[in-house]
Amino acid sequence: MRRRGFLRAGCACGALLIPGLGRAQALSDWQPPTRFARPDISTDEGGLWAMMDREETKLRRSPFTIRDSDLRGYVHDIACRLGGEHCSDIRVHLVRTPLFNASMSPNGMMQVWTGLMLRVDNEAQLAAVLGHEIGHYLARHSLERLRDAKSRSAFAQFMGLFGLIGAVGQLATLAGAFAYSRDHEREADSIGLALMRNAGYDPAEAAKVWDNLLLEIKAKPGGDPASSPMFATHPPPEERKETLMRLAEASPGGVTNERTWQEKTAPLRHEWLGDEIKRGQHEESLALLKRMIERTPSQAEYLYARAEVYRLRAKENDLDAAIADYDAAVALGTEPPQAHRGLGMIYRLRNQSAAAKASFERYLQLAPEAPDFAIIKSYMEEDRT
Amino acid sequence: MRNLVTVLLVAALAGCVAAVKVESGQKALGERMVVTLDGAWNQINAPGLGPAQVWTMEGMPVDQLLIYTGLKTDEAIHAERSDGNTKSFKFRSGMQPDEIVALFEGMLTRDGSSFKLVKLAPATFGGGKGFRFEYGLTRKVDNVQLSGIGYGMESRGELFAIVYMAPRLTFFSRHETRVERIARSALVKG
Repeated sequence: MRRRGFLRAGCACGALLIPGLGRAQALSDWQPPTRFARPDISTDEGGLWAMMDREETKLRRSPFTIRDSDLRGYVHDIACRLGGEHCSDIRVHLVRTPLFNASMSPNGMMQVWTGLMLRVDNEAQLAAVLGHEIGHYLARHSLERLRDAKSRSAFAQFMGLFGLIGAVGQLATLAGAFAYSRDHEREADSIGLALMRNAGYDPAEAAKVWDNLLLEIKAKPGGDPASSPMFATHPPPEERKETLMRLAEASPGGVTNERTWQEKTAPLRHEWLGDEIKRGQHEESLALLKRMIERTPSQAEYLYARAEVYRLRAKENDLDAAIADYDAAVALGTEPPQAHRGLGMIYRLRNQSAAAKASFERYLQLAPEAPDFAIIKSYMEEDRT
Repeated sequence: MRNLVTVLLVAALAGCVAAVKVESGQKALGERMVVTLDGAWNQINAPGLGPAQVWTMEGMPVDQLLIYTGLKTDEAIHAERSDGNTKSFKFRSGMQPDEIVALFEGMLTRDGSSFKLVKLAPATFGGGKGFRFEYGLTRKVDNVQLSGIGYGMESRGELFAIVYMAPRLTFFSRHETRVERIARSALVKG
């Protein structure tokens, strides 16, 4: 029965690979498989589940896992709406890692990294990525990959599929995003879109996710999307975007829930922006923040973050750009205290002692518990003498 | 951090890691720095390490003391990788203490580890005007939570610094005082 359900799903998914309008037609016909039963431990799939169970135990204890129950419940609800009948098999873990990634392992463990949550504009865009990962899960792509992974090195890459904490440490590597085959990725895109539509989300948001990511990749020096590890085995990004747009046009409408998304993520956004700044990938961060500021010009956090990136990059005209953004953040009246610290640093660098002093004083007034309180005081005293 | 562990593991398997005992007493480090040790340490030598000397009391990767003995402008504070994808963190003469600490933060979080500055304040180091910082680090590779302290100062355009870290439970408190004494004993020749 289970096997039959899987084969049915496989056939349906296979049909989605027909190019052009055929795909869109297939999108409306696609039906998810029935719930998966736990495989026997003596099988390769059972062994894989057991291994993932152990990794999930580690993940639950990891200090990188976000404990905010409100946000976790909210994201889990989104995954549930997408997963439908499979909802009770999906467990969502939010992981503090400033990279664009989500993954889902065959035992139902889903990881969503904070770099992804920072980058999506609304619930529908997150649903597009989660739907894609659930698509891999429903089509059981990981099992196919496991059976392909005969060599030790291929197995290591296979483990990277699930963004395991131990296996994924390299910030430069978008692990978890590049080891499925292109056909699997196309299939997961199609299933993901069908899940989005079934859950009532606007499928047009899916293409925007890739569009936005492309902006960042292209902003990087030598940023050729084709050479990005993100797209090493993914379909070419332009093809992917166009396919997603075409599929979405076939079934327009749906919600984005942007306001809800912004409200739910607001309490953690400062922390996520801080992690993004610390990545030190200035060009990518500037592309991201430019887009965010254009979308939400009244968000002081974004202006502050861009100012910080400019200040840290410190190329020609960057400090002027930083001051403009800090000032704009301050003018909004909701700036983080560190905006005044940044201003003080630049004024100090330019030997504008009075302006530096005023900014530092404001910073210390707003953040009397700041860890760098003493060193800032010492800067002020140095400048006075 | 993870890179350091990997380098050490690979080098150990290849038989290239040497742990040399650093005797107590006065010890010249590089051309211009001298410290006084009240106990022996182990210095780890392996290909791929540098530019800091790497010392440990408990063995790697339990604890480590990184010692910088005159890093020049445009030199990275970590061993350079050849993959070209990872950002380098380079010292520049004239950097302020907060900027130097940000370099260390960048280095320690390149593998996805999480750094939290606890305190940064002016301090005497190397016989001159420097700074001292305290931090927490959650290591990505194994989720171990570490505590750390560091000292630094710039002299004639070169960076002198020591940075220590060890698991927050048991190990950090076991060696913190010893590291503080090394920092207080440090002298940088003008």
